[in-house]
Order: sequence, then C-alpha cells, then structure tokens
Amino acid sequence: MNVEIFVTDKAGLQKFYEAIIAKNETYAPVEKFGKFDFKHVSSLSECDPDSPIEKTMSAKPLFFPRSAKILKYTADSSGTTVKETDEDPLAGKRVILGMKHCDARGLQVLDKVYNWDYIDSDYQKRRQNTVVISTRCDKAGTHCFCTSLDYDVQNLDAMDVLIVKGQDGKIFIKARTEKGEDFLKSNPIDSANSKQHPASEEEMKKQYDAFAASFRLKMNYKEINENLSKIFDTPEFENVSSNCIGCNTCAFICPTCHCFKISDEKIKDSGVRYKCYDSCNNGYFTLMAGGHNPRPAKYRRWRQRAMHKFVYYKERFGENLCVGCGRCTISCPVNISIFEVVNQVAKSEK
Amino acid sequence: MDYTKQIQEIVAKLFAEDKIDVFAGYRMTGFDENQVPVLIQSSGEVSRLVFNDKSVFNLCNYLKYDHTRNKRVGLVVKGCDSRSLNLLLTEGQVKRERLYIVGIACDGVVDEQGNKMQNCEECMFPDALVYDELLGTQHPEGKYKVNSDIKELASKGLVERRAYFEEIFESCIRCNACRHSCPLCYCTKCCIDQETSKLYNGANNTSSAFHALMTWSLHLAGRCVDCRNCEKACPSHLPLHLLHKWNERVIYENFQEHLSGVKEGDRGAFYKYSLQDPDDFIM
Amino acid sequence: MEQLLVPMMCKIDKVIQETPDIRTYRLKFKEEGLMEKFDYKPGQFVELSLLGAGECTFCISSSVTRKGYFDCSIKRAGNVTSDIHNSLEEGDEVGIRGPFGNWFPLEELKGKNLLIVGGGIGLAPLRSLIQYCIDNRNDYKDFTILYGSRTSADLCYKEETKEWQDNKSLNVILTIDKAEETWTSNVGVVPKILEEVVKPVIENTKVITCGPPIMIKYTIQSLKKLGFADKDIITTLEMKMQCGLGKCGRCNIGSTYVCKDGPVFTNEQLKNLPDEF
Repeated sequence: MNVEIFVTDKAGLQKFYEAIIAKNETYAPVEKFGKFDFKHVSSLSECDPDSPIEKTMSAKPLFFPRSAKILKYTADSSGTTVKETDEDPLAGKRVILGMKHCDARGLQVLDKVYNWDYIDSDYQKRRQNTVVISTRCDKAGTHCFCTSLDYDVQNLDAMDVLIVKGQDGKIFIKARTEKGEDFLKSNPIDSANSKQHPASEEEMKKQYDAFAASFRLKMNYKEINENLSKIFDTPEFENVSSNCIGCNTCAFICPTCHCFKISDEKIKDSGVRYKCYDSCNNGYFTLMAGGHNPRPAKYRRWRQRAMHKFVYYKERFGENLCVGCGRCTISCPVNISIFEVVNQVAKSEK
Repeated sequence: MDYTKQIQEIVAKLFAEDKIDVFAGYRMTGFDENQVPVLIQSSGEVSRLVFNDKSVFNLCNYLKYDHTRNKRVGLVVKGCDSRSLNLLLTEGQVKRERLYIVGIACDGVVDEQGNKMQNCEECMFPDALVYDELLGTQHPEGKYKVNSDIKELASKGLVERRAYFEEIFESCIRCNACRHSCPLCYCTKCCIDQETSKLYNGANNTSSAFHALMTWSLHLAGRCVDCRNCEKACPSHLPLHLLHKWNERVIYENFQEHLSGVKEGDRGAFYKYSLQDPDDFIM
Repeated sequence: MEQLLVPMMCKIDKVIQETPDIRTYRLKFKEEGLMEKFDYKPGQFVELSLLGAGECTFCISSSVTRKGYFDCSIKRAGNVTSDIHNSLEEGDEVGIRGPFGNWFPLEELKGKNLLIVGGGIGLAPLRSLIQYCIDNRNDYKDFTILYGSRTSADLCYKEETKEWQDNKSLNVILTIDKAEETWTSNVGVVPKILEEVVKPVIENTKVITCGPPIMIKYTIQSLKKLGFADKDIITTLEMKMQCGLGKCGRCNIGSTYVCKDGPVFTNEQLKNLPDEF
C-alpha cells in the first residue's frame, strides 16, 4: 500500500489534535492522581496524548467497559418484566488520541475471542465506529517488552492513524487503514506544514530502531512459549507465586484480560444486572456451589494466568495474550513481574 | 537505614537453630531500586534478603495466606507494621508462639520517586512495638496531630465533603486491591466482594464504589494503622488514606484518644461498648 | 454481547421435591411459541437466573422428546441455589438462557449397548439421555442403568426410576452406600457394584457416567479395569460457568472452553486436558 506520509512539526500536530477534538467525539488520556485514564475530552489542554506508558491505563475499557448494564427488571403481581437497558453502547463515531501501540495490539488480540462462535456485536460496533490514533513511544518503559513478543510493533492493523516523532522535531503522520485514510481526508493536517515525503518511511524506521534499542527487557518468545507448554506440573509456579497477594489488579488493568462476571443489584422489586471485570487470580473465580474448586491454591491460579497468556490463547486463537506493556508489573503492589515469572518458570525442569 | 546484614545474620541463625519454617522479608527486584516481598523457606536463600528505606510493603499481609498458615513464621516489622501485628494478635488471627518478630526502629521509608512517605513524616510510633529482637536506635514517641489534608476536609461541610469523596471514587475501577493488600482484612468472606456478598454489585460507577469503599473503611475504623498498603496497591492512585485518616481522627477525638494497635490486647474502639460512648458524630 | 446475556422469562409449572435437598423445577417459556422453538439435545445446559440473586448453570434434565416443558434439577449447594430453593414456588418466574454446550454423541451411540452410570445429582443430565433413548428405544441395543447415592432418601427421580425398573427393555440397578433396614436392593459404592453386580459386556458398549468428582474418578478406574477403552467412556464435566458463550473465561481448562467444547467429553479427551477439573 502506497500511502501518503504527512510531515509536520510540533505546532502542526498540536493544531491537528485541536481540530480533531473540536470536530469529533474524542477520547484521550486525562490525568487524575498522577495516573492517566482515557476519558472524553473537549479541549487539548485537558489531556495529554503523549502520556508516559508507565502512568497510563489501557484503552481497553473504551471497547470492553469495566462494567456494562445487561438488563433492568421490575417485578410485580403480574410477573417479571425484563428490559434491555436503554444505554446505547456507542451511538456515533469517535476518535481515540494517544493510544499506545500495545493497546492497539490488545484490541487485535481481543478481536479473536470476541469474534469466535457467538459474536459480541457491541464490541464490534465499538471497534468499527472508532478511529484509533496511535503515537509511537519514544522510549521503552522500565517494564515494557512488546518488541520481544510474537507481533510486529510497527505494523498493527488496529491502528488507523500512526504518529511517529522523528528527529529534529519532525513528526510523521500516516494512515494505516482505509478508515484512517478517510479520517485524514476529513480531518486534514495543516497544509502549510505538511507535504509528501518519500524519505519519511526511512526516518520512521530509524525512530523505531532507536526505540527498539531502548528496551531493557528482551526474551526469546518462541522458546518460552514452547517450554511453558511442556511444564504444566513444575513446582516453580509455587515459588514464583508465593508472594502474590491475590489482589486481582493485574487483570483489571491488563489490555487483554477479558474475563468477566455477572453481578446483580436488587432494590426491592426491581434491579439491574451488570457485566463486570473479573480475574482468574480471584479465589472465587472457579469455586462451584457445593465447594468444589478446580484451582483452590494460589499457584494454580497463577499458573492459569501465565499459561493462558503465553500458551493456551496461542493454542486456541493463534495469538499471544500478553502484549508486553508491563502494566501489571507497574501496578502490582508487591512488584511481581510477569516477565520475570515466565522466564524463571520456562527455565525450570518438570 | 540499612539492616540487610543484620537481618541476614538473624535469619541464618533462626534457620540453623530450626526456630522458623518460613521468613517473610524483602528482596531486590533485580532491575531497579524497588523491592519485592519474599518468603524464604531455607537458609540457602538468606543472601537474597535486604532491608532499607525501600522496604515499604507491610509484611503482616502474608500472615493470612496458606504459605504461612500453621507454620512458624519469622518476619520483619516496622513501627506501623507492628501495630497491625498487634491487632492481628489481639484479634486472634495469629499466635505469638509461632512468630519470630524482627522489629525495626524505622527512620521512615520512601516511595518510588525517593521521597519520604507522607505517613512516615507524621508517624507517631516509628519503632516496632512488638518484637523478639529490635534493630536500630529507638525514637521518641510522637504526638497525635491532625494533618493538613484532614483539617482541610474538616473545614468542608457534609455535602461538600461527600462531593469531594465522590470525585475521588469516580476513578475507582473496583478491583478490590485495597482490601486484598490490607493486613487487617483477613475475612475469608468480605462484604465488598461480589462473590460472597450481595450488598454491593461490582459495577464501575461512583455510587457502587462509594458505598463499597465507605463500608470497607468503616470496618477498618479504629483498626487502620496507616501503613498505606491499600494506597500503594491502588492502580488508580486514589488517596485512600483520607478515608482512614478521617476515621482515625473521629475515633481519637471521641473514644478516649484511642489509637489502634499500640498495645497488645488493646482492642479496636468499636469492640468496646459503653453507655458513655458519644454518638453525636454519627451523621 | 449484552443482548446475548439477557435471559428469556420462564414460568415454573411444577416443583417436585426429589430428595431433601434436590428439587426439580418444571419450566415453560412465558412468551408464546418459544417453547416449541426451544430445541435442545441431551447433555446441554442452560443458564438459569433468579433476577436479583444471580445466574447459575444447570443441565437440562428432561428430553426434548417430552414436549411442552423442560426440567432443571437443582441441588441446594451455594448462594444462588439456596435462594432458588428458598424463594421459588410454582407460578414464579425465572430467566433462562440457552441451550449451551455440546451434547452426548447420539449418532455414535446408535446401534450400541448403553451403560449409564450415575451418582446422586449426577443422574440429572443422564436422565435427559435416558428419556431420549427410551423414546427412541429401537435405535439402541442393551440398555443398562446403574444409579447410586449415599442413602435411599438421596435417590433422585424415585417414581421415574420405578417406571424404568418396570420397563422390560431396561436393566436398572440401584444401590446405596450403606445398608438400611428397608432397603432390599444392592448396597455398596457405585464402582464396586459396577464390578461385582453389573459386570458389563465390553464389546460394542458405550458408558456414559456422571456424578460427584470422586465417584467419576473411581468409576473410570473400575471401567478401565474391566477393559473399556477411553474413547468408549463418556462423561459430562461440572465446571463453574458464567456466560455460556465462550467469552468469560471461567470454564477454561487449558485451551478448552468447557461451555463450548464440552461439557460432554470422552475419557480420551479428558486425559489430554490439564488436571484442573
């Protein structure tokens, strides 16, 4: 695909962002208590599309909300009436600014599970109606390892528009999908500052190489994937999970975790049913009525989490469920690193 | 403040004399200055242990898991940690006989940016209150002070204060990490867990978060020792200490200057009932 | 997704107290025409919800060949099931989503001898198959049912098992774990009776078993001892489920979704799964 690459500078990008926010329903990272979360914004000053990965929550909740109403019901003498909620999952088109590459990858991974067998139409609708504008990181975060996994960070189909900050203040903007091309046509980049540039691809590659060189964490993904699939019974899982406090944070902030629970709220004769996030690290996750629990011990739950991310999902859907964003490590109250865990376990013998 | 060497020696001796089965301490993450709690099961691993002003996490939390249950446990406690340990002992959650406590006379710990933690600046009991062995030089006991955050909260009216808390809880993602990281939240069935309780749904909206967190904080009123495990665990960085500090002030002012976990055997304010208890602060 | 999670309302037609802690709820869809369209196979399950309390997974314990209703047999075990027992009466309403999951390999069973081994509430999914096979009796050869429970009071579907015993084309063997004064039939755990009393023919026989995890474990051991091949032993797994749609991740065993690939598995398939059920 021979796509135009627009070259602009900081001021041009600023104007581009401002125009987008003025014209579209825009979501971008907004800071609160030192943490950025994706929220609806009405001006550029409210948000920071270049928020650091360490402090930014994933954009997953915009596609798979932290909780969604399933139904409302009322009961009276004539029986129970169930109403689907009037909440429209996504009415119009929207734009997400400043989405990280790892989050975009997360969407591609989630597409698989939401589009097999029963199709999650709400998720699909949100995906179709959203234009993702993704800015490439300048530097790897302390816990990032996206370049070591089974995907090409430079080419992700979930990114509609890619923004790369090159050298000398040059900024490259490129549409990656048809949706992105259409979007750039209706939201043009300030023409005084933009032009076609054949050498741009080269410079973008250069930026990527510098970015890729800044990674502290590197792993041999293939080897880890192969080794893990062979060592289900290794006692090493007990060692690596002994200091986990089972707080579930890792799953709640993960860009790919998709387990949920159904939670009811009842007020007298009416109520609401929600679909909410859940985590396999939760001891109640597989506890059945009657007391049988297939994963009663913490290490079994940890094993499920690690294996689901690095083995099972790959077996089932052909993709790795971990995108290497390091958010779980950053948020872990006891600083457990999934990178460290899988590396340590993969080395162990059965 | 660095007691790495002393702790390693103590633990090696404990294992050599077969006094403990497991020791809860800290180790380096291996890639930055931060630390990971670690449960050590043999003398061979002793060299991994460290202790300095980055040893933040309250290890009493580990007393509620299978790895330490019914075992002889050694652990390091700072002043605030020892207060929660006192409460756990008083509330019958652990037996003193099966603990070997290495107390620290703590000079205060720092956060990830290297700044001294706010609760350490205000700490009244920096020295471990219950221990078998104490490391460091003891500090004079501090005086109770209401900090500026709470003063500011107190200057607000009820409606304004509620709005302020709602503003905070708007960012809650309902992961319940705060409850799991609290050393005093040892209930196996918690009223804010949706699996075991029907009180609160798991919805990510302000009203659900408000009610669940308020209930949680009330269960810790008169018990919270201000170790800030919850605040450090919160992925949204919510200032949860405001809830607990607010409760602490109310309890201190209304219940004979009660401070939790200061003496072994001293139960939480709400465990003792007397007709003279004030009730005008309610509502 | 959210629409797929909205249940259809059913009216409780009848409540049958099977044992002190098991009740069978006979359900009919409220909306006209839905009952006729509700097509399911033996072994499939539904998500039954008591609005305000939650949702639970139950197998359908009746066969589609019995028209106009379907049954769910529910044992009082956890929060929601206790609520169901405490609050649901005839005429009340519950929500139903389903049917979900795979079913017993009906085509494969044709022309084979069937040996059904059940324990306690485990007879519920088997009852669906038994009813189905009775209604298509000519498709199958010898038909043996072995059913056991702890005490005689804990035996499910008492009247129906009597009917089965009276049915000349079925061989029904009942057993209880410990002897009781009024009990004249077999005494002993299911695997023991299987080896000592039933002594099944191995050739051309398929075994379908369901019961408490511990019973399944020892039954499979006995069957192996008797000489059955793994592929001829069929069981249905109990696993915590929530959505039934292969999304919520609760019923994952390795890369298998029990709610989509199961709950019916042959022992051959089970052997390849991680030991987490």
